[in-house]
Amino acid sequence: MSENVSIVIVSHSPAVARGAADMVRQMVGDDVRIACCGGNPDGGLGTDVGAILGAINSAWSPKGVAILVDLGGAETNSEMAIEMLDPEKSKRVAICNAPVVEGSVMAGTEAACGSSLEEVKRTAEEFQS
Amino acid sequence: MTKNLISRLIAKIADSICASADDLTKLDQAIGDGDHGINMRRGVEALLKQGDDISRQDFSTALRKAGTAIVMSVGGASGPLYGSALLAMAKTASSMPSNQAEVGVVVAAGIDAVKARGKSDAGAKTMLDVLIPVHREIENGSSIDRIRRVAEESATATKPLLAKKGRAAFLGERSIGHIDPGAKSAALIVHAVCEVLEKR
Amino acid sequence: MKGHDAEIQWVDGKAKIIDLVGLHARPAVKLTKLAKSYKSEVEICSGENRNWVNAKSPNAVMKLRADYNSPLFVRASGSDAAQAVKAIIDLVDRNFNE
Repeated sequence: MSENVSIVIVSHSPAVARGAADMVRQMVGDDVRIACCGGNPDGGLGTDVGAILGAINSAWSPKGVAILVDLGGAETNSEMAIEMLDPEKSKRVAICNAPVVEGSVMAGTEAACGSSLEEVKRTAEEFQS
Repeated sequence: MTKNLISRLIAKIADSICASADDLTKLDQAIGDGDHGINMRRGVEALLKQGDDISRQDFSTALRKAGTAIVMSVGGASGPLYGSALLAMAKTASSMPSNQAEVGVVVAAGIDAVKARGKSDAGAKTMLDVLIPVHREIENGSSIDRIRRVAEESATATKPLLAKKGRAAFLGERSIGHIDPGAKSAALIVHAVCEVLEKR
Repeated sequence: MKGHDAEIQWVDGKAKIIDLVGLHARPAVKLTKLAKSYKSEVEICSGENRNWVNAKSPNAVMKLRADYNSPLFVRASGSDAAQAVKAIIDLVDRNFNE
């Protein structure tokens, strides 16, 4: 696999996160590493900083990681997780301000073409249905 | 003394949150996603589980470990908010504050972290609407009794506010008339800390 | 790009969307990825109004909403323009390998 920007999907619901990741895999292919997480530490709806850290590390690419989040806590917990990474790594992680499913597909498409983290983030954020 | 105080603080905060977890959840069901009580209980249970280790540390390390435990366990947005507050306080406090002015400096660092993490400030119907007035009382050298009263009154005073942050903000006008669950849990924590310090 | 059409040397091509649901999301992703693999500027448009969009923009291609049986026009400008146009027309003709 050539090193492309990776995608991390964070939803309150593990099913939504997995579903969005499946869509990216099917539509974009295997050129982009994708990790997803959803649910609080007890398995209920919510997000989990530890799981987000795990997802970022498992999908890690030196080219960067774009994170797509759904609602409030998902963003706050993702920001927290980014700060808890090594400073060298955290510089190469960005949260995209985009709808989680559509943004993931757009970000994945851009990433699959070898684009930079900034371009991936911009494409996800430009999405308008 | 330090160790005793830290473990007593953890125990009292945990008691208070667990006793009110259902109330917090009810408040959150009205204007949030109904999990604040459950999330906060998970957080204090993590604190209790690591309580022996945390209370063995110096004050700053204890705050840092407590913050990490909260961040990793709570799940909702309140985890990073309370967790960031503790982590920032850990950075500011080189040792256990020995007077109220020093407490004020440490608390201020925590409040700044909550503002930054939540991109929020006073008046948005959040925990800051309790923490900021409480900090003002600490700085003014108010009595513990007064600090506790201000915390409670400030939580109640979030009732008529319009939520501008978090899930409650989606409700707009409908968020008016409910106490903010985060403000309530902040008041409970302040209350628990006051009780421990009073009996010191 | 618009407004400079007269000065740019375009290689043109035309294909037809044969998928019954038109140019839907998954083929749009494939088209974008393919277009991005060329150095040339690549644009596409659907129908006769010739509203060219950047074929390398996933957002623009998704929004094109080219229908079944409608022509898809392709044009490219740059050192590998001919290859780019041919590759995209082949992709559409193969129904995006769907």
